[in-house]
Amino acid sequence: MTRLGGRLAALGLALSLAAFPATAAQAGQARAQAVQEPAEGKRIVRLGAIQAIDSMNPFLAVRVISTSVHRWMYAYLTTPDSKTLQPSPDLAESWQTSDDKLTWTFKIRDTKWSDGTPVTAQDAAWTLNKIMTDDGAKTANGPAVENFESVTASDDRTLVIKTKQPQASMLELPIPIVPKHVWEKVPDVGTYEAEQYPAVGDGPYIAVEHKKNAYVKLKANPAYWRGAPKIDELHVIFYENPEAANVGLKKGDIDWIGRLAGPQFQALAGDPNIVQWNTQGRRASYLQLNPGAATADGEAIGDGHPALKDVKVRQAIHHAIDKKALVDQVQNGLAVPADGSIVPPMYKDFFWQAEGDTRVSFDPARANKILDDAGYKKGADGIRTMPDGDRKLEMRFSIHTEDPIEDKLAQFLTGWLKDIGIQLTTRKLDSNKFTEETGSTALYDIAISGWSVNPDPEEVFATHLCSRRPTAAGEGGGTESFYCNEEYEKLYRQQLAELDRPKRIALMKQMQEKLYTDAPIIAVYYPNNLEGYRKDRITSITPIPEDKGILYGGSGYWPVYSLQAPAGPAPSDDGGAGPFTTAVVATAAGVVVVFGLGLVLMARLRRKGDDDRE
Amino acid sequence: MTAPIEIEPAAGPAAGPEDGRGARRGALGYALAKLGGALLSIGMVVVATFFLFRLIPGDPAIAYTRDVPLTPDQLTLLRRQMGLDRPLPEQFLDFVARALQGDLGTSYEYRRPVAELIGERLGPTLLLVGTGLVIAVTLGLWQGTRAAWNHGGRLDRFSTGISLTLWSVPTFWLGLLLLMVFAAGVGPIPGIFPTRGMEDVDAPDGPMYLLHVAHHLVLPCITLVAVVYAQYLVVMRSSLLDEIGQDYVTTARAKGLRDAQVRRRHAVPNALLPTVTLVFLHIGLVVQGAVTTETVYSWPGLGLLFYEAIKGPDFAVMQGTFMVLCVAVIIMNTLADVLYHVLDPRVRSA
Repeated sequence: MTRLGGRLAALGLALSLAAFPATAAQAGQARAQAVQEPAEGKRIVRLGAIQAIDSMNPFLAVRVISTSVHRWMYAYLTTPDSKTLQPSPDLAESWQTSDDKLTWTFKIRDTKWSDGTPVTAQDAAWTLNKIMTDDGAKTANGPAVENFESVTASDDRTLVIKTKQPQASMLELPIPIVPKHVWEKVPDVGTYEAEQYPAVGDGPYIAVEHKKNAYVKLKANPAYWRGAPKIDELHVIFYENPEAANVGLKKGDIDWIGRLAGPQFQALAGDPNIVQWNTQGRRASYLQLNPGAATADGEAIGDGHPALKDVKVRQAIHHAIDKKALVDQVQNGLAVPADGSIVPPMYKDFFWQAEGDTRVSFDPARANKILDDAGYKKGADGIRTMPDGDRKLEMRFSIHTEDPIEDKLAQFLTGWLKDIGIQLTTRKLDSNKFTEETGSTALYDIAISGWSVNPDPEEVFATHLCSRRPTAAGEGGGTESFYCNEEYEKLYRQQLAELDRPKRIALMKQMQEKLYTDAPIIAVYYPNNLEGYRKDRITSITPIPEDKGILYGGSGYWPVYSLQAPAGPAPSDDGGAGPFTTAVVATAAGVVVVFGLGLVLMARLRRKGDDDRE
Repeated sequence: MTAPIEIEPAAGPAAGPEDGRGARRGALGYALAKLGGALLSIGMVVVATFFLFRLIPGDPAIAYTRDVPLTPDQLTLLRRQMGLDRPLPEQFLDFVARALQGDLGTSYEYRRPVAELIGERLGPTLLLVGTGLVIAVTLGLWQGTRAAWNHGGRLDRFSTGISLTLWSVPTFWLGLLLLMVFAAGVGPIPGIFPTRGMEDVDAPDGPMYLLHVAHHLVLPCITLVAVVYAQYLVVMRSSLLDEIGQDYVTTARAKGLRDAQVRRRHAVPNALLPTVTLVFLHIGLVVQGAVTTETVYSWPGLGLLFYEAIKGPDFAVMQGTFMVLCVAVIIMNTLADVLYHVLDPRVRSA
């Protein structure tokens, strides 16, 4: 190499070498603060997550991975029962409501934080008041306390919540209760990172280390009131790329991944060490049909096709969809055809299914008859026109770009709608544009959407309320349909105030039926919950609900609490086999590189010899 | 001023005699002009960044809280916290004023200062891109020299063919392939490399930690090098080919110099000049490769941060990362200009 080249190379090398120790030092510091013990001999389960932690501060975290970790670290007032998913005691041992349904009194469990301080009602009152009074603390759970009038601790064991309106969903507050004695010292919760380890919590696990964008290490909480979990450590390991996570699972770098996509799940087939976990999911996938969108003030908005304002057209479209074919062809059978609405069948109590005359079957002839009777005449090209004009039934189908599943669904739908005289063109939108056009500007005719439902489905019902439509200024309010129906609103208000569970469920079923027959949305299928775990590493895990439920991403902590794993290899004198093997391999790799360079150099010298001879 | 003198005999024909003081003043003026240009470009990047990212459709407040139903009141509050409720010119002035003080705003998603997030991710990216770049440049220049010197030969066709094939391979695909073969292991090939990240839980301390990270670095680095080294090879090859036919090369041969001496002392230094510029110009492309590589290997660097921010969308992080990457490329280009000036007397006298 020339001097110039050599200098450049040296410069580059110096730069990268300068960066290397800096990074190493950074990481070293981070780890030095954490508890350092060899991993061997312990029962460890490593969960792969396709999402990094957004924040370890439970007032700020919104990603599923973070809220899950917080659910394992902090007790909530209640938790869904492992069998029925009904609210059951957690931090609150018991509760009662006043006759006017506005006052809730919770009896707080006598237990301890992981630092030994007793847990009291003051902790719960402080947490809830913080969210109510500090805008910076509202990020994660602001909506949940919107209806609270006041929260007080009348004594160490008694928490009193007064609400403005009756709130039937009170027993599913998604709020981790944090230790007041730790958190009241935080000057600004809205900017606090909560990276102090070991964290102080009262859940089954305690976070002891968080390496940002890499992993969270949790240890079993020996003081947990239900008894310590049966494993010693739970590692949550971040993968950006789902395929890489699959490779990691097959290789054994991780033991468990949840929330798999269909192709990823199928790629795990045939591996003798891996259990493919395929159960009913918590999501409903549906089509949005623009029912004549308007703002919350009733002002018309967007450019939805006028024919879709007609409920008969929406119902005809419903008859034209072969949901069974979609499940088989688009979802490879990893879903359930939807004969209901927005609540998936895994929530047995709340799930409503159309039966008898109400059920909309796949029946193109009937769809054609409905449209014929309603005056939508077919033209020479087979496309129908509006009864009162010459606008053709040419509609757009909005889907997300780079989503092969939606692409395939669009092809099927286009064919089926053509059979009933509706011309459909697919419109692919990037996800932000999609959210804007289907949620605030209403520039769509038909679009694809979906929602993951919690054990208490109240929030998914709220997405179809009149008030969720965009403001006059055009700002989206979170509507999933631009639906606005007086009867639906009334049912929603009734269920809010109905503390009798069976009665409330009946009201919610009526709401689902309303959505089903009015068809501002048409549920097409309920995608299955797909996961995979290594049976050589996880010897036992209980899903929620216990009967064929979800492992990761469900509600509560049952699955991670129930984990059982074999002990790792016993610790050895040199600090363990894992890092040692790693080092050997790395060294070997380095040697190979050096050896290769040596060969190259020798080749060069040989050539030089040849040159000399010339 | 020793470096140019060594090159001068080779570059001979165009180099004019220069008085030292004049040259120094000229060099200073040149450097200042380039610096001014760079500052102007950076200013334009700042302006462009702001408006470019405002053109991206979608409401960040809604996107951020996707699947979390909010009442309109809460959305309004969120927008106020994000500063989205203020008029655009006001947001812009605020943005510029803060950017000048090194404040790149606060991430919507992480609720932390963007500058801090970038700082955290800079190290891993420098490590990956730095190592990759050194290897790619060394490999590319060396192979390019070989290929050009034996142009048309088997070695030339082989190495150029291989590098161009790798260059046209999508980074993402190559990364996954390497991951499946060398991290998971296929058939007789054992999976000896980790499947993700820069370090594992319970990584060793001290010098062993360096080995631990180096072990994690192997696959991402190979991916990055494989995809980018061709550009250095091709540029070096073509610029050396240009030199081979020159009179001074013939003269050098006529002087009786050995083939390797002609190559190393005469042809290569001249061929390196255009290559140097390209090495720096292409740093932008390497950074682009880093985004994909980091995504495949979950490498906790700037590329991954940028990728996640796009998915968000996290405007503040996108803006900040984009700006830092742009500024890095501008600085590199300016450096290339100045370096070129130092290296090539012809530029200096012009």
